Amino acid sequence: MSQIYKRELVFLVTGIVTIVMILDYFFVFSPVKDLATQLRTWALIIQLMAIGLGAINLVRVHWRNIQKRTSTWIYSAWFMVLFALLLVLALMKVSTGTEHWIYSWFFEYPYISLSNTLYAITGFYIFSAAYRAFRARNIESAILLIGGIFVMLANAPIGEVITPWFPLIGNWCNSVGQIPGMRTFAIVGTLGLLAFGLRTLLGKERGFYSEVT
Amino acid sequence: MSDKTIWDKLQNVDRRVFYWILFVGLAVPFMFPLGLPVAVTPPTQGLYSGLRKLQAGDVVALSINSGVSAWGDCLPAMVASVTQVLRQDAKLVIWSVGYVDCDITYREIVNRVPEFKSKTYGVDWVYFGYCPGQESNVALLRDNIRGLYTKDIQGTPTGDIPMMKNINGAKDIAMVLTSDTGDVQVYYRNQWGPTKSSRDNFGAVKYPVAEIGIAMNLSGDMSFFLSGDLFGLTGGSRGGAEMEKLVGIKGDGTITMDSINVSHLLVIGAIILTNVSYLLTRGKKR
Amino acid sequence: MITNVAAYPTDILGITGLWAGLLLMLFIYSYPLWKENPLYRFAEHTFVALAMAIAIGVNLDALNKVAFYPLVSEGALLMIIPIILGLMIYLLLVPQYRWISRYPVAILVGSSIGLGMAGQLLPNIVSQIINTITPPKVGVAAFDWFNFVYIAIGLICVTMYFLLTYEHTGPVKPVTQFGRYFIMLALGAYFGNTVLFRFSMLASRAQFLLQVLKIIPM
Repeated sequence: MSQIYKRELVFLVTGIVTIVMILDYFFVFSPVKDLATQLRTWALIIQLMAIGLGAINLVRVHWRNIQKRTSTWIYSAWFMVLFALLLVLALMKVSTGTEHWIYSWFFEYPYISLSNTLYAITGFYIFSAAYRAFRARNIESAILLIGGIFVMLANAPIGEVITPWFPLIGNWCNSVGQIPGMRTFAIVGTLGLLAFGLRTLLGKERGFYSEVT
Repeated sequence: MSDKTIWDKLQNVDRRVFYWILFVGLAVPFMFPLGLPVAVTPPTQGLYSGLRKLQAGDVVALSINSGVSAWGDCLPAMVASVTQVLRQDAKLVIWSVGYVDCDITYREIVNRVPEFKSKTYGVDWVYFGYCPGQESNVALLRDNIRGLYTKDIQGTPTGDIPMMKNINGAKDIAMVLTSDTGDVQVYYRNQWGPTKSSRDNFGAVKYPVAEIGIAMNLSGDMSFFLSGDLFGLTGGSRGGAEMEKLVGIKGDGTITMDSINVSHLLVIGAIILTNVSYLLTRGKKR
Repeated sequence: MITNVAAYPTDILGITGLWAGLLLMLFIYSYPLWKENPLYRFAEHTFVALAMAIAIGVNLDALNKVAFYPLVSEGALLMIIPIILGLMIYLLLVPQYRWISRYPVAILVGSSIGLGMAGQLLPNIVSQIINTITPPKVGVAAFDWFNFVYIAIGLICVTMYFLLTYEHTGPVKPVTQFGRYFIMLALGAYFGNTVLFRFSMLASRAQFLLQVLKIIPM
């Protein structure tokens, strides 16, 4: 009996919500639309509240580092201090509606700069990968590299200065050459999603739920 | 005596040398710009042509779902598109379902588009801020904007904002411009696609959605541009530079192109060098 | 509220902020350009702390607008249910009651899969197939017909490559082999565009460095 509300009822809830969303998309029926809108709002609220899980895990990991005095404990201590400070300021902002100048400063300068920097760091690795790893060992990798080179020369205005053929071929690769592959990825990916969704509806897909076998 | 040739030594160069060459190569063109012309490609032309069809009073939704980290790719095209929208005397509804730092992007757009100075907030444009929720939010916004955004960023109830009096969903909006890093425009295509827009879809059967995206998305989104699910598409800083050229402004997209020239030539040179050395040393090893 | 990031700031907060941003950027780049070091670790931990705190603040703000404000000010009592469901998700941390957290997850999974399944059919399958089989208009250049045939044949070859319910031998083998070539060309174009993306962002960081040092105008 306990298995029913720990497993089967969960799958039933998933199935009902999925069907309501699908019905709402394909039919114009007021009660279904209202229920779907309500469920979407609930999903949004659950998603918003779930962020705390990540924060709790992060704090646990760093607190363990500090307690055990690992080699990186000083960084974990810095993390805890900064996180606590910013969290208090963020909560103040939510309750009063105004931003403290320290919160604004941290958001507009360090956070934005670090966010940009970490996103951009992969540019270095692409360059070293281009030198170390991108070797045309066979026809397929040669096609990949040649296609990539033409697209790069189409994207950079200097390609057209060298010869008009570079942007011509590169733009063809972008607008026609890659279409069979990319279009098939979209079609096959959606078919996979449909199969996955059907399995979820039938309760066969259990990876989402903790410890369900 | 070592029998290593120059090609063997080249293959073992410390990667930090390349990183320094790259970083310096990216920085120098900003100091000594070349200013090479940029040719416009059909997807960007599609976006511009779509914006040119706007009439005075039409409402355009701008969905800012790319963070500050994607400014290099998305901001130039966003600024150029917003400039064109305001020049057409259309109105803007701005929101975000994707990124926490959309406030900064919104402020940057307002700072960089001089046309805002002659417009009135609440009458010509309104900004609702960020509400996380991805596809659920996009579906909610399609039917009931007020259900999600009860107030704008300044705290004014949505119903009290002059331009929002008759606007509450996709059917009241002429088109959506979405700037994202790959996911949110999928939601607009999926959820808003079958809806009718306020301007009869410009003669098309699908809701007009345009993507102002990162360069990586250009590959995947091109299929949707060709099938008509997207009426316009810009990819990366190159798309931004093309949009700036069409709109007639000079912004970061155009300025970055010189840096892109040098960096791309470096990468191509690296690929050619490594393949030449690989072919030569492979023959020797056999 | 600090405003107008477009011009070089003149106030002390703005100037210190710019320089703090620049120094943190250089700390992060000290890892690829030199080696792992304490400054890089410091900047990394700073980012994680900032990102998490800001994300929590923003999410709570949105929660306030979507759930608490309608509940308290507009009397929308139904909002109690998703708030309780949201709290139930924290039982994931308590092994004894972990099963209770499956219910809010069920609603999340159901809504996202339902939205995805319904929404992706039209643009991802129907539109794509229609566009593939629709021939060019009468009177267009011969190259457009070449592109049309190229896309159609390519789509068939790549689709056959992805169908794994039969062995790729015999007459099917060359077709799937061609499918691989089409895929490689698509991935090559994707690589070319990825390079543009990554280098645009790195270029904007180089631009930021020069702007803060006042070598180029902001």
